[in-house]
Amino acid sequence: MLDRLKALARSLLQPRRLDDDTDDEMRFHIEQYRGDLVRNGVAVEEAERQARQEFGNISLTKEACREAEGLLMFDELVRNVNYAFRQLRRSPGFAAAVVLTLGLCIGLNTAVFSVIDAALLRPLPYPELQRLVEVRREMRRGGEFLSTGSQDGYAWEALKAAHSFRVAAMGGTSGVNLGVGKTSVYVQQQRVSAGYFRVLGVPLALGREFDDTEDRGGGANVVVLSNAIWRRVFDGDPSVVGRTILLRGEPYLVTGVTSETFHQRGRVDLWTPLRPSTNGEGGGLNYALVARLKSDATWAQAQTEAHTSGAAAFERRKIPSSVTARMILAPFEQANQASLRERLQILSAAVGVVLLIGCVNIASLMLARGSTRRREMGTRIALGGGPGSLVRQLTTEALVLGFVGGTAGLVLGYLAIEALQMVVGRYGVWQELRLDGIVLLVTALLSLSVSFLFGLAPALQAVHVDVREALVEGGGRGVAGGRSHRLRSILVLAEIALCQVLLVGAALLVHTLLHLQHLDPGFDATNVVTASASLQDARYSESENVNRLYHDSLDAIRKIPGVEAAAVGLHVPYQRWLNSPVRVRSGPESLESESGTSVNYVTPGYFSVLRIPVRAGRVFDDRDTEGSMPVAVINETFARKILKNQNALASYVVGGGEVTRRIVGIVSDVQQQPGLTGSGPITQEPALYVPATQFPSKAFRMAHTWFTPNWVVRAGSRRGEIARGIERAISSVDPLLPVASVRTMIEERDSALKSQRMNAWLLGSLAVLALSLAVVGVYGIVANSVVERTREFGIRMALGSSLRRIIWNAVTPGVLISIAGVVIGGLLAAGSVRLLTGLLYGVKPVDAPTFLATGGTLIVISALASLLPALGLMRLSPASVLRQD
Amino acid sequence: MNKLADLLPGTLDLLVLKAVSLGPLHGYGVLLRIQQISKQFLQIEQGSLYPALYRLEHAGLIASEWGVSDNNRRAKFYRLTRSGQSRLRKETRQWALFSKAVGYALGALPEEV
Repeated sequence: MLDRLKALARSLLQPRRLDDDTDDEMRFHIEQYRGDLVRNGVAVEEAERQARQEFGNISLTKEACREAEGLLMFDELVRNVNYAFRQLRRSPGFAAAVVLTLGLCIGLNTAVFSVIDAALLRPLPYPELQRLVEVRREMRRGGEFLSTGSQDGYAWEALKAAHSFRVAAMGGTSGVNLGVGKTSVYVQQQRVSAGYFRVLGVPLALGREFDDTEDRGGGANVVVLSNAIWRRVFDGDPSVVGRTILLRGEPYLVTGVTSETFHQRGRVDLWTPLRPSTNGEGGGLNYALVARLKSDATWAQAQTEAHTSGAAAFERRKIPSSVTARMILAPFEQANQASLRERLQILSAAVGVVLLIGCVNIASLMLARGSTRRREMGTRIALGGGPGSLVRQLTTEALVLGFVGGTAGLVLGYLAIEALQMVVGRYGVWQELRLDGIVLLVTALLSLSVSFLFGLAPALQAVHVDVREALVEGGGRGVAGGRSHRLRSILVLAEIALCQVLLVGAALLVHTLLHLQHLDPGFDATNVVTASASLQDARYSESENVNRLYHDSLDAIRKIPGVEAAAVGLHVPYQRWLNSPVRVRSGPESLESESGTSVNYVTPGYFSVLRIPVRAGRVFDDRDTEGSMPVAVINETFARKILKNQNALASYVVGGGEVTRRIVGIVSDVQQQPGLTGSGPITQEPALYVPATQFPSKAFRMAHTWFTPNWVVRAGSRRGEIARGIERAISSVDPLLPVASVRTMIEERDSALKSQRMNAWLLGSLAVLALSLAVVGVYGIVANSVVERTREFGIRMALGSSLRRIIWNAVTPGVLISIAGVVIGGLLAAGSVRLLTGLLYGVKPVDAPTFLATGGTLIVISALASLLPALGLMRLSPASVLRQD
Repeated sequence: MNKLADLLPGTLDLLVLKAVSLGPLHGYGVLLRIQQISKQFLQIEQGSLYPALYRLEHAGLIASEWGVSDNNRRAKFYRLTRSGQSRLRKETRQWALFSKAVGYALGALPEEV
């Protein structure tokens, strides 16, 4: 065996050397023989002749030797690969088109696959995932059905006692200030109940998580740090555990640091106790519950227990009898990915379509090439090339293309993943994108099988070449028609149809984005900068302190050169606002009725900074103080929906912290993210504005747990300078208050529309890619048919046909194919756009103008792509054509 | 020429192994040695010798080495490898058995059946 390997290694490593050696060996043999013959008395010339003759054909013998060594197939492979590269260099246009098509399709697929992998396929980084569940509630009233993972304190209390699983509660994530030396940094804090890390199953790297005595009202202030913030802010010092740090303006004891491998959705820098209860925050659906089944419990047991404990919780919450409510357990993994699933499915379908278009394109390019090479194939068969060697040759060519294209795809995919990594985090994909083994395997299989299929089709076609026909009649003498032409026309038609489907989808999403961007904002968004900072801070637990901060910082900001006006509000337009129940009375004597509204506290000047038009009455001014009569301003939607347009300015409202307020003004609506109606990414909701001076301390504390207030500044266009000025002004009033972010109102809008933006961009770029591939396809088919029909056109011109007519003749097939493709694609699109329904606003899925516009564009572009090669016919000289061959 | 025996298929390899087992030989030497040890009864077609040599070398039964011939020419010498030796022993045994069996069969008389 070893001898054998050595021999093979030598013959592979030194092929040239071996060849020479074989020559030498045989020459030696012949010379020796000749010598012997001469010694036996044969004449020299005769001996030479006889020696050669008896030895036989040297090159045949050499070939037989190489075959004996198992090198013949290797030789042919090397020859085929060389030949394939030479062929591709000779037609760089074809090679570039195929490689680019393959590269784009495979690269794109790799990138999107890695997103799907990170978002849907890769298991969450928690042990024994199959025992980790989310507790959801399903509510049914009449035909309405609601399934939600949001839970209240009643559910928490009921499920906490369960025997078959251990449950932990999660609250929201909000920005807070972490004191570092003499300044503060703005970090993300999540509030979780005791047992959170134990339920997820990831032990802390240092220390411990909170216990039950800390996780209840009045418990000690404790905090768990993330590994990242521990390294960044505390230099990875283990003695931090057990020390006190300044968080939210109060001392907090650090009890633990998470492990380096712990990751969860969204960025969280530290965790503090949630202290779940059934009042305040816990009275509404503000928690999420995650549970881990105990090792001796089955799914069925856990499900039953959740059901019965849930029923008790609903009983205590006094859910109306018309509502059927049920507590269920859902796999945590699935619940975590539900929001992305639909979009990723659409995305992967679109990518699949682009890939399909790409494949069709390559197939059609290969077919075209196959038909122009009929003569070459005929010649090779006539010279004795067997069908096997022909198939091997063409397959090698296809594999070389597939390999180069696959490599290009891999490089493109790698670059795309690098670029996407930064983007997808903002859209809820929190696991790292990786170009991992699975992706590589899928890519490699894809590229190889695709190129193999395409290589084989023309090869099989070539084997059926009629040698005589190809040599005598082929090569530029054909006329329109033939089987391969029909096949290619069908392929290009399919390509156009698929392209139309994608174009329609992309156009609808772009339409949606434009519609939302151009919704009347209700205020003047130009030249307004907002800065936010967290006031979830012990130093700002009283109304008085908050209002002093606002007053002093606004004074400082107004002194910045270029600032026209400034104010503070809990919210600005395009954000999600605090929702709160209110009771209204349309007169002092009338009955109160309860409804829900969004609530915003503002300082005087808020409406003028944003230029929100006042429709009736007045807005706040400096006379609305803590001691003056409590007042409120409402928006038009509030007046219409809650007060039914009746006598608003004489009405009272109990809200904004359980205070009875007189309504003194009505302002115009602004766009905001919906918290109540859930219709679209931005909409107009009822809004109640109250003066910041009249907002009770308790309401401030609650609002600041969830939201960071915003300074709004109208200033000239030098944004960078203004931003730095605002930061300096705020820190001059409170050096421990870090500014979380500074944005323009346009950026606020874009942030509210980010998911629509991403939809439009993703599908839009896929559609552009599909369009360019389809254009290449149409160009290819027309260019090829022009080449094939040159002789026919020459004869026609010689017989008196006009140039215009000839060009028309050449262009027509491409245009007809694209029209047919657009019609079929339109029908396909009409059937499939309902998939997009949930993503569209301001446009119906089957929107006639969109269908017509995309179809028209596609036809015009195809016509141009057809015209380009046809224009080459202008240089056609009938005489030279007829003299050919 | 009709005094020469035709080579049975597959026997060339065996003969080559036998020839080089008697000492390293170059290709032409193998040819001469086979003629010599077969008492000139067997003649090898010259062209088919080299593919056989390459095949046996590829199979690791013989090994080659460049050396100098009797008349001081550069020549490639073949020698038997260890696996070649055991193959030769096995094939020789089988050949003896085969030729004995064929001999019995062909020498059979009607009354013996």
